[in-house]
Amino acid sequence: MSHMSASKLPPFEYYEPATVEQASKLLDNHGDEARVLAGGIDLIPRMRAGTVKVTQVVSLQRVNGLDYMRRSTAGGIDFGAMTTLHALERWEDLRVGFGALYDAIHQITSVQAKCMGTAVGNLCVATPASDVAPALAAYDAGILVAGPKGERRVPLPEFYPAYGCTALGPGEIVTGVEVPAIPKGHGAAFLNLVRTHADIAKVTVTAAVVIADGLCKQARIALGAVAPTMFSAEMAEALLEGEEMTHELIRAAAAAAARETRPIDDLRSTAEYRRATTEVLVARALHKAAGRARVSAANWGADRGPSGEGVTR
Amino acid sequence: MKKQVLTFKVNGLSHDAIVTPNMTLSELLREELGLTGAKESCGVGECGACTVLVEGKPVLSCSALAIAARDKEILTIEGLAASVGKKPGELHPIQQAFVDYGAIQCGFCSPGMILMAKALLDENPGPTREEVQEGLGGNLCRCTGYVKIVDAVLAAADVLRKEAGT
Ligand SMILES: Cc1cc2nc3c(=O)[nH]c(=O)nc-3n(C[C@H](O)[C@H](O)[C@H](O)COP(=O)(O)OP(=O)(O)OC[C@H]3O[C@@H](n4cnc5c(N)ncnc54)[C@H](O)[C@@H]3O)c2cc1C
Ligand code: FES
Ligand code: FES
Repeated sequence: MSHMSASKLPPFEYYEPATVEQASKLLDNHGDEARVLAGGIDLIPRMRAGTVKVTQVVSLQRVNGLDYMRRSTAGGIDFGAMTTLHALERWEDLRVGFGALYDAIHQITSVQAKCMGTAVGNLCVATPASDVAPALAAYDAGILVAGPKGERRVPLPEFYPAYGCTALGPGEIVTGVEVPAIPKGHGAAFLNLVRTHADIAKVTVTAAVVIADGLCKQARIALGAVAPTMFSAEMAEALLEGEEMTHELIRAAAAAAARETRPIDDLRSTAEYRRATTEVLVARALHKAAGRARVSAANWGADRGPSGEGVTR
Repeated sequence: MKKQVLTFKVNGLSHDAIVTPNMTLSELLREELGLTGAKESCGVGECGACTVLVEGKPVLSCSALAIAARDKEILTIEGLAASVGKKPGELHPIQQAFVDYGAIQCGFCSPGMILMAKALLDENPGPTREEVQEGLGGNLCRCTGYVKIVDAVLAAADVLRKEAGT
């Protein structure tokens, strides 16, 4: 965003509805003229730079019930649209049980951005370079959406139909995120490649696997910054599932994942470099995830919590 | 676009100001209230020079709306020393450490650095060197090379812990 110059914000009408229904109605009435404001750390600079032009700003800051973090009855974690990245980073249940998601949030350098910015705002920006989106996708997160037609749950990769777009329809807002419980033998790892830590990722990877009886029962390889949207490398996942995670198989899966990318050349990297480093990062992430999965399988039921990740970190 | 008279609590005092929705918090502080300690440098959320504390949490005032901060406690560098009972002209222990350790050169980053350091030490009174570096990860300094800033924050942490008797 460094190319943006800071000028005065253009005029707009500002609303602070108290309920999701009111917020949704305001958005629906104003169509493309309206935007939701959460932490504002993305939206306000874009409005100042003129790259987002809207005349109606609907703040969620006073909407009741959007700022929550809780363990679900099934053992997963749920959080709300106004829950900040900072609050999530400091949540012990997330750090211990969902270590790759913790790593994705923790590596964001700016504490101020994490104190203002919400995880849901990060997702709704819909940049393919988000670190948070692939991390949540690898944990099979679901996005909770509310709007004029009621409520629905959108699984994460499907939340991004095209570059810069979300699956949100007119008047719809995201109310929260659900991350399901982690099974025995689950392990996950987050890795990204950046020029400096304050910069946007060139490649961002979260891999998650479930290992039982020595075989990979489930694989998730979520990739960012290497295609128009975040996506799951489904061919690579299919290669792993049902098989033993040997070095050779991990290498083959990483090569398959690299073939599934559709990277671009830009000022950060060439497409060729992005594809080559995707292969390296996916292989590393799969090795880490598999190691953690084996620890989880061995320690399951011990008093150290449901996931091996917190144990090996 | 509506103009409204709103009340802001800045550095322990109530201020009324005429605000339009498109006024940023940094414009309110600097242009309406004359509190020019918070600097606007990048204007896009990347440098931390405009950091102030709202309800104790660090906020980038260049990227926050003034209207959203109404009725909340705002602390700027001008009010930091008084917030711990210092008299006019006296410095807060973090400010004093910045002076003592040569952590200020041009000074443009200092108000943001110091308020960010306060937020960090409020949450974690005994940080490691690495935790201070991480805590200041969103504040850029073009002069000092950061080493003296980190030294100053660690020294201030010691002073504040002694004062608190912990
Ligand atoms: C210095 C800096 C460093 C960063 N580093 C990283 C990084 O390393 N990795 C990374 O992944 N990200 C990074 N980010 C991005 C940051 O995480 C996001 O900008 C932030 O989380 C956005 O959240 P927000 O609440 O401020 O969103 P806002 O700015 O309020 O909103 C962003 C967009 O989402 C929409 N929106 C927000 N909430 C909802 C909702 N509930 N329903 C529907 N639409 C909604 C808004 O309309 C707007 O279009 C960085 C940002 C900064 C400033
Ligand atoms: S001026 Fe606000 S972050 Fe740089
Ligand atoms: S002292 Fe000059 S920018 Fe930090």
